[in-house]
Amino acid sequence: MNINRRKFVTRSAVSAAGILLGSHLKGMAKAEGGEEVSLSKPKKYDLMKDVMKYRKIDAHAHIYFTNTSPEEQLDAGERLGIDKQVISRYLSIMPGTPEQFREYNDLTIKAIKKYPKHLLGGFVLNPHYKKESLDEIKRCTDAGMIGTGELYYQTKISDPLYYPIIEKLIDMKMIIFSHAECQLGVGGYRMKYNGNKEPNTSIPEDFVAIAKRYPEGMFQYAHIGGGGDWEYMCKMLKDSPNVYVDTSGSNNDENMIDFAVEQLGEDRLFFASDNSYPQSVGKILASNLTEAQKKKVFFDNYNNLLKKGGRNVD
Amino acid sequence: MLIDINAYVGHWPFIQLKYNTCEALGQRMDKFGVDVSVISSMNGVFYKNTQSANQELYDELKASKRYKNRLIPFAVINPIYAGWRQDMETSINKLGMKGIRLYPKYHDYEITDPSLIELVKRARDMGVPVTFCYRMVDSRQRSWMDIDYVAYTPKPEWSMKNIMPIIKEVPDAKYMILNAANSLAVDKNDMETFKKADVLIDTSGRTLNDIGSLLKTQGKERFAFGTHSPILDYLTGLLRIESLRESEADEATKELLRSGNAKRFLGI
Repeated sequence: MNINRRKFVTRSAVSAAGILLGSHLKGMAKAEGGEEVSLSKPKKYDLMKDVMKYRKIDAHAHIYFTNTSPEEQLDAGERLGIDKQVISRYLSIMPGTPEQFREYNDLTIKAIKKYPKHLLGGFVLNPHYKKESLDEIKRCTDAGMIGTGELYYQTKISDPLYYPIIEKLIDMKMIIFSHAECQLGVGGYRMKYNGNKEPNTSIPEDFVAIAKRYPEGMFQYAHIGGGGDWEYMCKMLKDSPNVYVDTSGSNNDENMIDFAVEQLGEDRLFFASDNSYPQSVGKILASNLTEAQKKKVFFDNYNNLLKKGGRNVD
Repeated sequence: MLIDINAYVGHWPFIQLKYNTCEALGQRMDKFGVDVSVISSMNGVFYKNTQSANQELYDELKASKRYKNRLIPFAVINPIYAGWRQDMETSINKLGMKGIRLYPKYHDYEITDPSLIELVKRARDMGVPVTFCYRMVDSRQRSWMDIDYVAYTPKPEWSMKNIMPIIKEVPDAKYMILNAANSLAVDKNDMETFKKADVLIDTSGRTLNDIGSLLKTQGKERFAFGTHSPILDYLTGLLRIESLRESEADEATKELLRSGNAKRFLGI
């Protein structure tokens, strides 16, 4: 039998397609003419090996007042090779009185003392209470916390009320970390829409303003995967070199990480989950970042900032 | 073996997408070990006449010689647009499409619209599944030109409760539910119907983060690997399966999630 290589490959491939897909797709191939088909079974990709390859600090996670916390968060981290999680209990939609933020910080202190190998603590406060907030920074730092947890809806990060707090945090070489959103009708952006959010929600423009006022500050913009317009966020923050973004959030759009690195550079991204653990790892592994860039994002970038205050984890 | 039941090619009008051609998707499949993907044309979400998008997909598949037999096309049909019955017939019987994807919010009809009920009954009779998607993109990043079902507002994104009415109308059809980003809960009165229905949910949605618990409450036949590519990243849907502990899913259960449930559902 005289059969050339091209025909052989074609026939073998069609046969393989039949084995692989059964009669269903064989029918489709026929409907489409069944001409040259090169079908090769893809090589197996070991996702978990890739996951476990990288040491990770989760720069944004939360614990709760439940019986399953923080063990639930530790379990989620362990299965994805997350060595350390920076936890806090954010103040949510509430007045954020000193009694409230002390209670919330006590929860975090309890957790980091119970699991010191895996949990780092961030404190929350409310700059409407200047003296109490400054006192709380000292109390929480003495208890071993490393910087702020996710500061929340009570006050925009650019509000002058924050100035004395930020100045104190700069003195202490701590990362200043705040919630942020970027959505139609939220925090001053296109307010003809109604995003149904708190009026003091921080938006990228607020970070630009405060970072410009305090170029020596180290600001962490929360969750570019928090659901908002991540292209807008990255473009707005591009020229604010002392604003770092964390990659957390439940949204795991393709190309988010590549775009962020393209806009901000490879040193300004922190790996983080905001408790959306699979998305947090999946979006980085699916990106086109190099090995070295992934290592930076998963661990080094955050650790390098901790190092400035002597709080690094290695 | 890996079968992705939730992929697309085509454009989204409000953001540039990568990997959104048959060729680029095929390369993605090769890189990450995916054997087969169920795809439709995203353009069909936006074209008034969705059949143009189905034809585009057919033409692209014909031209994508390297990958076409690893891509299973579904047709996008709008049951309140002229000629939909013929479009459905043509897509299934002439273009070789193996299922229908439906977008009530984008195509602007109710979930109990008589035309939709008729379409689902026709699909059932033809032996092909119908597909509904909770959301195409996270509504919090929506463009000012996009639909206004927005999370945490009085007009929220969809959940299973929004899809349940059509399942009640045609309980013996085959349903794929994609990008389950919100609750899977149904009303107490609908639980029995939902339990008996042939519903396959893909793993791309954020609600599937706790798939270990869902396997216990919903059963291991209910879920299948899906990416929602190219909108969502290519690996998270798979990671939800691969990171399950042995106590949550043994190897046989993981195989059901990777491809077994999809094969049964698609009849391949």
